[in-house]
Amino acid sequence: MKRREKQNYLKRMLAIRGMGQVITVTVGLIILCIVFGILNPIFFSGRNISNLLRQIAPILLIGIGQSYVLITGNIDLSIGSVVGMSCMISATLMTKGVNPWVAVLITIVCCITVGVINGQLVAGCKLPAFIATLGTMTIARGIAQIVNNNYNTDSIGSAAKGFRDFFYYGKLLGIYNTIWITLVLWLIFNFILSRTRWGRYIYAIGSNLEAARLSGVNIVSTTTYAYVVSALCSCTVGFIICATSGMGTMDAGNTYELYAVAASVIGGVSTLGGQGILLGTVVGASVWGVLQNGLQFAGAPVAIRNIVIGIIVIISVLLDVVVRKGRPRRKREKEKGKPVNYTGVKA
Amino acid sequence: MKIATIQGFKRWKRVKYMRDYIVEIEHLNKAFPGVKALDDVSFKLKAGEVMALVGENGAGKSTLVKIISGVYTRDSGDMIIFGKRVDELTPRKARELGVAMIHQELNLCPHLSVAENIFLGREMTRGWVLSDGEMNKRAKLILERFNINIPPETIVGDLAVSKQQMVEIAKALSINARILIMDEPTSALTSKEINELFEIIGRLRDEGCGIIYISHRLEELQRIADRVTVMRDGRHIMTANFSDVTMQDIITGMVGREIKEKFPRVNVRRGRKILEVRNLNAGRLVRDVSFELYEGEILGIAGLMGAGRTETTRAIFGADPKESGEIILDGKPVDINEPLDAIKAGIVLVPEDRKKDGLCIRLSVRDNIALPNLDMLVKSWSVIERRKEKNMVEKAIADLMIKLPDSEVEAGSLSGGNQQKVVVSKWLARNSRVVMFDEPTRGIDVAAKVEIYNLMNHLKRQGIGVLFVSSEMPEILGMSDRILVMCDGRITGELDIKDATQNLILEYATRFDSRTGDAAIGRAI
Repeated sequence: MKRREKQNYLKRMLAIRGMGQVITVTVGLIILCIVFGILNPIFFSGRNISNLLRQIAPILLIGIGQSYVLITGNIDLSIGSVVGMSCMISATLMTKGVNPWVAVLITIVCCITVGVINGQLVAGCKLPAFIATLGTMTIARGIAQIVNNNYNTDSIGSAAKGFRDFFYYGKLLGIYNTIWITLVLWLIFNFILSRTRWGRYIYAIGSNLEAARLSGVNIVSTTTYAYVVSALCSCTVGFIICATSGMGTMDAGNTYELYAVAASVIGGVSTLGGQGILLGTVVGASVWGVLQNGLQFAGAPVAIRNIVIGIIVIISVLLDVVVRKGRPRRKREKEKGKPVNYTGVKA
Repeated sequence: MKIATIQGFKRWKRVKYMRDYIVEIEHLNKAFPGVKALDDVSFKLKAGEVMALVGENGAGKSTLVKIISGVYTRDSGDMIIFGKRVDELTPRKARELGVAMIHQELNLCPHLSVAENIFLGREMTRGWVLSDGEMNKRAKLILERFNINIPPETIVGDLAVSKQQMVEIAKALSINARILIMDEPTSALTSKEINELFEIIGRLRDEGCGIIYISHRLEELQRIADRVTVMRDGRHIMTANFSDVTMQDIITGMVGREIKEKFPRVNVRRGRKILEVRNLNAGRLVRDVSFELYEGEILGIAGLMGAGRTETTRAIFGADPKESGEIILDGKPVDINEPLDAIKAGIVLVPEDRKKDGLCIRLSVRDNIALPNLDMLVKSWSVIERRKEKNMVEKAIADLMIKLPDSEVEAGSLSGGNQQKVVVSKWLARNSRVVMFDEPTRGIDVAAKVEIYNLMNHLKRQGIGVLFVSSEMPEILGMSDRILVMCDGRITGELDIKDATQNLILEYATRFDSRTGDAAIGRAI
């Protein structure tokens, strides 16, 4: 009896949309791990795995945010700058003697504001997401530079020890706090995306904006919601970076928005909207982290690492195009009328 | 006995409902930048009736129903729905009032499931959590009620277009609509599905729904309409009981003038054989297609939705890959692997969806006409010769009498008929031998249709072979010299125009062969 229930559960899991892609990428991830393990057995040491997870966590966080926005059919280029902004604002406040937790609150408010502005520009003023968030990206980076007069901050000091432990150095049940924070946020946002009305609307407007609008979905608030989630995730990453180094760096999070796109896309999120699950983003972020970490252990210099990672991103998406082309013709005919998916992310 | 009583009761109920108006609109005005879309329009709808709303494109039908369903807001005028004055209306509010609209374009989210689409915007939840199981169950009941056989968990994007249309209809009906608006709902349906839809409409009418039914296909209105409202140029022309007016009255009201001859047929002596297609195979919907086309002939291809007519034209044009078969032009076999080969040989296609496949709508008319002919317009280093281009474009526009302020306007801003002419003219600029029209009159108004017919005649007189795919039986019968009928990817009949009748065409068009399925798969493998 119990076994049958288990089977049913498995069946249901497999029936979730986008699960196919996630499983494919997971297989790839496992192969990568094995290869790196063979190249250098230290890869599988407990210490490295713990480090690896802590390396993956920020990528996963921004990946969650970017996935939300990508599923609505938009893009958020301001992620990296919001990370920098969060890092600089919180650090500056703390060096000025503000209580760390008050600083955290103020920073969160600032970051949410950026998310709200993004959403209003994209859905309210109907600017192309690329342009709107390109603008806020530059503005947010400017703010990151201006808060401490164009200097990185000094050490945030011993008063912020609690802050640093909470976001980076502390451990709970033998696992770093960073990982716990990421896990909790992932669970919350995954629940919202897959099980609540808000999540459904996010898929709906990415799949067919007009249909969603005519069904009474509020486009502006749903889009804004996605951007706010993205800003919140970036904000958290900003704290993590600040806690790690113990100071504010102006160019923290530089080009993170593109890492976030890569993590999402490798995990099967379509850049055209309407498609993807956050489990995929986990796998995508892991592939990214494992490559970084594994190549480092294999002794590859940074330049080679970048080249390999770029190639992997292209291959993972290309593979999907090839798979789609190979599908029987009849199936493709049915898809006529749908927009052509140039990214080749499974549609 | 029992059945008689139920019918009697239904009739009684209907008569009772028929007394009250559920939509009353007086002096409605609506202007868009540069256009007065609705001009002092009054419109009334009773419960328990099907009101046909007809008019040419741009007559204001869609604007009117979009105001009733809350998509547009009106500039002035009174609107009373169910006896209550309505001031501001949003799509959501209209839906709460019981107004449901089935839009002309498919308005579904292709990535979501059937049930998710049906309940979009009014999901059932337990606390914060969506109750997917409950929604699937309810969706199943709704689909069953309307005899739609689709599992509610199916992803909409995986369904055929006609099935998607049925989902759209089910979605509209699922809110217990009391006012149902349908804008060209049958354009993507097969005749079997149209019958099912009409049955559903009849049932809803008997239950006391008021239905506004917009359609260009006047023939189908005879089957369901109780009353008819004709609009022209944003104004209300007439409303009458359908049984009191003739088709001619309606058409006269629509165009405001008598159309003496609906199809301007010209007689041209049939010349040499231009095109021969031998045993063409391309996918499941093009199986062993063979035919010949002569100079000065319009060859019609009739068939039901999904018979493979579009696929055949695309395969000949090289837009889709072929598996086997020969194409012989002027006695010489030509090798067509991509559209460029076909264009060079002189075989061109005017595709079904002119906005998507026929034109670059954001580019100017000049750019559109010049685009496939740039090879003839460039000097060295691929520099375009402006004067040559201008001459070609001007000649093309004059030849087809395209109405435009000048050739720099955006192609997308033209009316449907003129857009179609631009698509044709870009091909005529390079002495094409065979022009294939795929549903050239879909979605354009009566007057523009006649212009397209004249255009086809113009080509015919020049000795160009015209291949004419259409789903409208009257126009196939009215324009073609010879008719091929397709069914399930095969040509099932060839008729000379003298012998062709609607019944005969339909008979061939439904001649399904149980073996072809396997045979086709066998060949494909």
